[in-house]
Amino acid sequence: MSRTLIIVDTPPYGSWGGREALDMVFSLAAFDQEVSLLFLDAGVHWLRKGQAPEDIRQKSAERNLLAAPVFGVEALLADDGACQTYGLSEDRLLDGVTRVTADAALLAGFDHIAFAS
Amino acid sequence: MQEVTPQSYTLVITGAPYASQAPQTALEFARAARASGHRIKRVFLYGDGVQLASALTAPPSDESHWPRVWAEFLTSEGIPGIVCIASALRRGLVDENERKRHELTASNLRPPFIIAGLGEWVEAQRGDSRVLYFHGAR
Repeated sequence: MSRTLIIVDTPPYGSWGGREALDMVFSLAAFDQEVSLLFLDAGVHWLRKGQAPEDIRQKSAERNLLAAPVFGVEALLADDGACQTYGLSEDRLLDGVTRVTADAALLAGFDHIAFAS
Repeated sequence: MQEVTPQSYTLVITGAPYASQAPQTALEFARAARASGHRIKRVFLYGDGVQLASALTAPPSDESHWPRVWAEFLTSEGIPGIVCIASALRRGLVDENERKRHELTASNLRPPFIIAGLGEWVEAQRGDSRVLYFHGAR
């Protein structure tokens, strides 16, 4: 089976691009395709614990992502360098996130790689 | 021209016309691919890209009419043009079925585009065609 990696490099809430990226990921998972998410650059903010988007009347990205393993998403990956840039230490990251170095070796493990927007 | 092995491509357009270059770049690619004997299996509009399927676009006469140009290309080449239903409904793009379902006042989907789910895109991902993305500006 082919393995897909969807990359999100924009923060949540400022645009709908990331949310629609998540829809793509969940669709692949629903069709039993192997899919993982990689958060790069400011995209790592998706993985921050304690998000409170109620005041801007948006759905919680955090809640969506916590459901990812239930829906069969293989892995939530966070670029380690980006986490450091934005001060996302281990205790500030959602549970179940794997910190990785987003390099050629990592990408080589996937058959399809796409930025969703 | 050099002999090439024919490839099959799926194009995913996420950038809107008149807000990004994406539909135009995708069209140039599609024409070049067809001219070289490659196959365009389907075109999938996602996110802001769904605006390309609007029947109500009316740009000034000295500007390219991208929805019309794309629709003509799809028709003449017999390529399916698929619009993601979730992206479309969010942005006010509906066919007759969706107009009825949501009790809206009008529909505005330009033929030959059709509305379908992300399953069509998943099908492309798992199939043998190469999937190319044409994104808009951030």
